Amino acid sequence: MSIFTPTNQIRLTNVAVVRMKRAGKRFEIACYKNKVVGWRSGVEKDLDEVLQTHSVFVNVSKGQVAKKEDLISAFGTDDQTEICKQILTKGEVQVSDKERHTQLEQMFRDIATIVADKCVNPETKRPYTVILIERAMKDIHYSVKTNKSTKQQALEVIKQLKEKMKIERAHMRLRFILPVNEGKKLKEKLKPLIKVCLIDPGCFREIDELIKKETKGKGSLEVLNLKDVEEGDEKFE
Amino acid sequence: MVLNSLDKMIQLQKNTANIRNICVLAHVDHGNEEYLINLIDSPGHVDFSSEVSTAVRICDGCIIVVDAVEGVCPQTQAVLRQAWLENIRPVLVINKIDRLIVELKFTPQEAYSHLKNILEQINALTGTLFTSKVLEERAERETESQVNPNSEQGEQVYDWSTGLEDTDDSHLYFSPEQGNVVFTSAIDGWGFGIEHFARIYSQKIGIKKEVLMKTLWGDYYINMKAKKIMKGDQAKGKKPLFVQLILENIWSLYDAVLKKDKDKIDKIVTSLGLKIGAREARHSDPKVQINAICSQWLPISHAVLAMVCQKLPSPLDITAERVERLMCTGSQTFDSFPPETQALKAAFMKCGSEDTAPVIIFVSKMFAVDAKALPQNKPRPLTQEEIAQRRERARQRHAEKLAAAQGQAPLEPTQDGSAIETCPKGEEPRGDEQQVESMTPKPVLQEENNQESFIAFARVFSGVARRGKKIFVLGPKYSPLEFLRRVPLGFSAPPDGLPQVPHMAYCALENLYLLMGRELEYLEEVPPGNVLGIGGLQDFVLKSATLCSLPSCPPFIPLNFEATPIVRVAVEPKHPSEMPQLVKGMKLLNQADPCVQILIQETGEHVLVTAGEVHLQRCLDDLKERFAKIHISVSEPIIPFRETITKPPKVDMVNEEIGKQQKVAVIHQMKEDQSKIPEGIQVDSDGLITITTPNKLATLSVRAMPLPEEVTQILEENSDLIRSMEQLTSSLNEGENTHMIHQKTQEKIWEFKGKLEQHLTGRRWRNIVDQIWSFGPRKCGPNILVNKSEDFQNSVWTGPADKASKEASRYRDLGNSIVSGFQLATLSGPMCEEPLMGVCFVLEKWDLSKFEEQGASDLAKEGQEENETCSGGNENQELQDGCSEAFEKRTSQKGESPLTDCYGPFSGQLIATMKEACRYALQVKPQRLMAAMYTCDIMATGDVLGRVYAVLSKREGRVLQEEMKEGTDMFIIKAVLPVAESFGFADEIRKRTSGLASPQLVFSHWEIIPSDPFWVPTTEEEYLHFGEKADSENQARKYMNAVRKRKGLYVEEKIVEHAEKQRTLSKNK
Repeated sequence: MSIFTPTNQIRLTNVAVVRMKRAGKRFEIACYKNKVVGWRSGVEKDLDEVLQTHSVFVNVSKGQVAKKEDLISAFGTDDQTEICKQILTKGEVQVSDKERHTQLEQMFRDIATIVADKCVNPETKRPYTVILIERAMKDIHYSVKTNKSTKQQALEVIKQLKEKMKIERAHMRLRFILPVNEGKKLKEKLKPLIKVCLIDPGCFREIDELIKKETKGKGSLEVLNLKDVEEGDEKFE
Repeated sequence: MVLNSLDKMIQLQKNTANIRNICVLAHVDHGNEEYLINLIDSPGHVDFSSEVSTAVRICDGCIIVVDAVEGVCPQTQAVLRQAWLENIRPVLVINKIDRLIVELKFTPQEAYSHLKNILEQINALTGTLFTSKVLEERAERETESQVNPNSEQGEQVYDWSTGLEDTDDSHLYFSPEQGNVVFTSAIDGWGFGIEHFARIYSQKIGIKKEVLMKTLWGDYYINMKAKKIMKGDQAKGKKPLFVQLILENIWSLYDAVLKKDKDKIDKIVTSLGLKIGAREARHSDPKVQINAICSQWLPISHAVLAMVCQKLPSPLDITAERVERLMCTGSQTFDSFPPETQALKAAFMKCGSEDTAPVIIFVSKMFAVDAKALPQNKPRPLTQEEIAQRRERARQRHAEKLAAAQGQAPLEPTQDGSAIETCPKGEEPRGDEQQVESMTPKPVLQEENNQESFIAFARVFSGVARRGKKIFVLGPKYSPLEFLRRVPLGFSAPPDGLPQVPHMAYCALENLYLLMGRELEYLEEVPPGNVLGIGGLQDFVLKSATLCSLPSCPPFIPLNFEATPIVRVAVEPKHPSEMPQLVKGMKLLNQADPCVQILIQETGEHVLVTAGEVHLQRCLDDLKERFAKIHISVSEPIIPFRETITKPPKVDMVNEEIGKQQKVAVIHQMKEDQSKIPEGIQVDSDGLITITTPNKLATLSVRAMPLPEEVTQILEENSDLIRSMEQLTSSLNEGENTHMIHQKTQEKIWEFKGKLEQHLTGRRWRNIVDQIWSFGPRKCGPNILVNKSEDFQNSVWTGPADKASKEASRYRDLGNSIVSGFQLATLSGPMCEEPLMGVCFVLEKWDLSKFEEQGASDLAKEGQEENETCSGGNENQELQDGCSEAFEKRTSQKGESPLTDCYGPFSGQLIATMKEACRYALQVKPQRLMAAMYTCDIMATGDVLGRVYAVLSKREGRVLQEEMKEGTDMFIIKAVLPVAESFGFADEIRKRTSGLASPQLVFSHWEIIPSDPFWVPTTEEEYLHFGEKADSENQARKYMNAVRKRKGLYVEEKIVEHAEKQRTLSKNK
């Protein structure tokens, strides 16, 4: 005859551990998966949706709860909820699968948006759409690096895409304003010296510096248009 | 169609009076005359009504096929309307009578009343068209009567109104006794008109054929004893003649066959004097037997084609009215044409084949043919010599016959009976097959393989089309007046050095083809009145055109399209590198399909606009398999939004006044306005943002204000003007005064300014127009930057002050950075990086004092050239303006100026700071999204109005007005609909109303979406109403998040909604 005996064990599933070292001790809290990042960004506002339990552990997997003295010595309080919040915001997180996935996806999109924004099809002078760029990025098997900024990566992507398809950075439209006598000197360096010209935005700095150096600050550059693209809708007729 | 009848067709082509251009085609013996019938079959689906339009234009008559069971469908209405608009004569075929017998099991009496019903419906439709036309004409005449008392319109109306009472009615309406209605069952191969039975019974019963013709249809019965036909069958409970003499016979035949009553069948067959083959007679499938009996007894081809020959006009019978209608575009009246043009009318009417007659050809569409299918690229069974011989023989035969018949009698049939090879027009018209006659193969020319070749589908209205003939190609917008103005009268053969006239080209007719279904055959020449294909025009003709040997010919009026393209999708190649093929393919598609529109949008999307989902599918298939030959993907087009701000709302979401009840303070639901703004930025209660550059040298104070709607509208309308103002200022900046302000432009600018002043009234807007610094984004958009600082003197109206002090010029250079910051801020708003609209940023203060102090020491050093180097506007963050250059100079070529400190160049900092300031200024105000709206015109019949409204409201549409169209039962509904909700709208509305309502969508304006995308319930009432999480959908937030997701921006959405409900991955328990 079996007698119902309540277990004093609460088994936790779907645990994401957040750790923090303080006062030479390691503290852990047990959270739900895919929720910690949401809490940090402020989307999730309900603490109970994030924490599995309000108690602070020394080791979550072994179920060792932190001692009160340790908590007081490390955090100056023994309010478990308060400490949990601190650990949540400052501790080191295990990024869960979905969180990582959304982050990568977001960055991927962001990169594609930047590329689409900065580039044109050199034949038509019209931009490509984001969806097309995304597909092209997948075609070249571009993998997103989370530790680099999206802007940096976008520039890399442009370089790689150039080998695959007709893509080019949208040119800037510049106007040079140069004193007459200096103009000649510069002519060799900036030939042909045109009043309004198109350049690749990548070499803007170089040109800018060159002009300044050569004219000793007398000449100047004026950006007429950041992106030289066709505007308006075109209808086939 | 077999080859050996072709020669005869060539002969037949020459006799214009015996041509019938209708929809479907073959040559036919009728009585003693032979006819050439050009028959163009057109698809029945609503989406392809453009095909009907193109076919109808080059026809003289049409057969309208109606299903006996389904009766009048929406498409029937559309087709009738098109025939009516093009002024061509219709005849009616009521098909599938067998279904009444076999499926519905009607008695003859029931079938008769059913058919009568259908006929009445169709006549009612015709009547509606007729009356609405009369009403329109009358209205037109009333407006025009004063101006033009004896114009064409007047005469026409006179005709019409008399028609209302007597004569014209009979032409208009369908009636079996008129002979323009035929009852058929194409599947069983039989069909009859009243005339057929009238002939039979006049012999049998001995009543005159004419009497029978009048009485076989209608409420007449026959008194067999007295051999008299009496009126009023129903009153006396008698069967009408049509039932007794016609339907009952057919019914009894079906009855016998279906019951497999051998004796009875034999009896019927012998009594009809038919011979049924043993094979058919023994066949177990009754359908075969019926077919065998009926196709001999009442052959469908005879019935239908006889009607065609008798009732439809030949090209010679073209009415003057139709000619004028074809030639007069829009409001132009025929009288307004120059005399040369008016003279062409005679040529039309005459349809002459002499060499002197002007050649007039109308190309109604271009269709693509695989180059392999062209006759020159196809293996031919016959050599040229053979064909030449055959032709010679045929000519001789023909000449003999002509001689025998004194050259005036109609042609005798050479091979009798067997000449009818047409398949009767089926009930489901499919594809667009055209057939014409005659051929002469031509030596092979160039032509690349695997290429689509375009053939113009055309008809000769006058003169003879010969290969190699030089001809004018007149586009739809061409005006003969234009030409006559440029070219002196009485010019002879047009030289190559003809002056350029818009929409006109001059080329030779390269190849002429006979269209026989999918087959093409070469022709040397085509006499008037015929349908033909012309090759080699693709460079001159886009979709339709008029070809004429005289340039004085006006282009024909544009085709009437029942369906306008409304279904929009974005098309992209699967592999990005295949973009050029796609573009090329789309160009071809555009040429091949009369009813497709292709746009490249500013976003780089290639948008395909089609008439409906079915049409779209065909276009995509064509694109994939024929024109582009690449894989493509289709998606919903990107929907643009705009961001704006509004005045703070007075009431909350449950219509309670704000401020009356205190907010419920819930810890995790606070509106986080403040938390969005980082530290170091001061925000006062009025939304004034004060922000300092990272190097703490400059401080800006910016406020955002919503512009009144009218102002935004004015700005939108005048964007071109603003752009030219901008160009003007920048050229002035350079010191180039060559572009003197045009007087007109100047006036326009003042007018524009006046308008702005007129609308920007009130305390807050005082003097603001004079302080406008810039417009944005791209310097011409619907947002304003206003500078309210005291020393401001650089508004858009005055341009840069030339003799400004050095102080001012310094300000100006820095000002450019601020303007650039404003431009960037307006280009992408904080909500979802979409452009702003209708926002006014006010720069209340700019404190550059610290910067000044730092720079004051070297002010003296700066030369005069500072003024010269001032620039109009620099938008780049990396750009250093003249000021920092000056500093660079001060630090003597060392390269790095002190202001290019760890935060980058000062101007760049200023740009970034200004941009941030604008964004925060927006964020403290109630932000709103603006959605692009379509105006939507829907024509619908009264009975489907409810469903139209349901679809509209489901898609957030709003009905503006609804009115009844005069003289019809159609309603015209005007509504607005967000573009975001329009995907699939046209299709849904068609489905829901079974095609009785067809919408037309045109972009109209931007509209603020009233709901706040950041809204969360804050008051007690709102909690009660919406709950804690505001689960009910927030339209604006939905849109915003969709855009943010698409762009890869951060979306405030939980990855997992409920932590507990995730899939458990741990294995132990």
